[in-house]
Amino acid sequence: MAERDEIFEAYADWRQRCNENERLRRMLRGWDRIVHLVAIDTGDRFTVEIHDQTLAELTDGAEVTADLIVTATSEDFADLFWGDLNPSEKYMSGEITLAGAQGDVMRLDAMSMVAFLDR
Amino acid sequence: MSEPETGATGAGLRRALGLRTVVSTSTGLAFAALEYLAAAGLAGDSAWIAVVTAGILALLAWGCFSELNGMFPTAAAIRLYMKRSMDDRIALTITLSYLMTIVLVIAADAFIVGTAIAHVLGQPTWAAVPIIAVLLGLAVTSNLRGVKVAGGVQDVATYAVLALTTVVAVTALIRSHRALRFPLTPLHGHHPGDLLEAVALGVFLFSAFEWVTTNAEEVRRPRDIHRGMLIALAVLVVVCSLITVAMSHVLDHRQLGSAYPQLALGRAAFGQGGLWLMAAVTAVTAVNTFIGGFITASRFIYATAREGSLPPVLARLNDRAVPWVPVVALGVLSLVVSLVVEATGSWEVLVAVGASLEAMIYAVAAFCVIRLRSRLPDQARPFRLAAPRLLGVTGIVVFGVLAATASVSVANRFNPVPLVVIALAGTGSALYVLVALPRVQAKAEAVRAARGRRRPPRAPASGPGEPGPEAVPSGP
Repeated sequence: MAERDEIFEAYADWRQRCNENERLRRMLRGWDRIVHLVAIDTGDRFTVEIHDQTLAELTDGAEVTADLIVTATSEDFADLFWGDLNPSEKYMSGEITLAGAQGDVMRLDAMSMVAFLDR
Repeated sequence: MSEPETGATGAGLRRALGLRTVVSTSTGLAFAALEYLAAAGLAGDSAWIAVVTAGILALLAWGCFSELNGMFPTAAAIRLYMKRSMDDRIALTITLSYLMTIVLVIAADAFIVGTAIAHVLGQPTWAAVPIIAVLLGLAVTSNLRGVKVAGGVQDVATYAVLALTTVVAVTALIRSHRALRFPLTPLHGHHPGDLLEAVALGVFLFSAFEWVTTNAEEVRRPRDIHRGMLIALAVLVVVCSLITVAMSHVLDHRQLGSAYPQLALGRAAFGQGGLWLMAAVTAVTAVNTFIGGFITASRFIYATAREGSLPPVLARLNDRAVPWVPVVALGVLSLVVSLVVEATGSWEVLVAVGASLEAMIYAVAAFCVIRLRSRLPDQARPFRLAAPRLLGVTGIVVFGVLAATASVSVANRFNPVPLVVIALAGTGSALYVLVALPRVQAKAEAVRAARGRRRPPRAPASGPGEPGPEAVPSGP
């Protein structure tokens, strides 16, 4: 089980990678979205906001209405943000579930893939 | 069949699909331009009986897909329920073969619209070739640019197609000024085997209605999916019965055997204006098919490649986050198939292959329902198929027989070509799964091992007696 701070640390690393990735910024053009992350094992909820091709800092809670809701274990969120986990594998095995438009799901997966293409 | 309420998948989302859009998506996916040709293939004023029978059988498939979708409300559902029901290699072989149906439908629609436009413009048959190429080129380009039809526009387009088709069919029937001949005797002048083939072809009229389950993650209420599919089936039964009877009753043998019987029906109803009207309706159905087919298939291929079950090249994205390799591959494959159909005039083979594959996947869905009842008895089932053993076994047998029948009969005659096509697709898929896939997976595993882990190891437990978090191994 990953603690809240671990998820924040992992996200901060991922956010920096995404925001510094020129190709990813092109992919996010016109894609302003609010994403909720729900950790099923800890019950923690977080909000990610993408605005003007930039990821904002992770915030606690899920107050605003989301475009996309991602549900996974806290461990999976931490691994995902560190680039150690392929979210599509977990999604295709049913361990990560999503709610939202298919196009938004694609963009989110693209972010997780393109951010680590250099590895 | 029970329909309990469940927690909403997409509740609380800013953009969520309602029942109206679920119905239009399900109906639109099934109602391709190929529908007119399949309907024309059902001969006689009693052909509606085959359509209604097929509709009743499709209810079995609806029950199975509703239960499976309730268990796995995700776009990846087909992978999830199949690999939990059978060996994953078999599941992947069936899934890849099934994807061929989408290519066939896209190719068929390109062929139908191409020939219909050439006919309306008074051009020779060969003029359809560049039209088909341009249509598919436009479809590929718009997909690569991430063009998406808004839900409201899709609703209007689908419901307009259905309404106009119904009006044309009813008007053509009324204007024929002839009573229906033997509308209640499906075996009049036919062999019982013909009726079986007609029912198999009738099942094809509903094919792809179940693909709306891939939208399960974006609906406002989960129950909208199974309710929407049910309404879509009812709408399809009515519209398809009407066009089948109208075509059989109004058109002559040559018109029924052409690649654009719907244009002749339009002319019978409203003269030259009706011909243009049905040409426009055909074009709209094809656009629906192109957009829905390309998006559904290319995203599924992308996800399967990302999962590691297809080569990673198929997961490449362009700057609009569109998986461009699957989109281009689908476009090229559809173009080749439609040109082969154009050159050989073998669209009836295409219909038979599609009908057989669709019946096969319905049989597989029935099998999965039965298997998962014993393998995952405790998993939540928001929708439960009543009498699953009886209906499941019935589904396997009935759809299995229909799949076998459709695979060896074309236009009421024995013809093994569809079976050969399916066998080739199945063999190709199986060879990939057994020979190439292990290499793809080994390569991906090697890359992953070489990369190691980035996540830093956790700090040791803070004090004696206090349980610390487990250590996470770190890579190079």
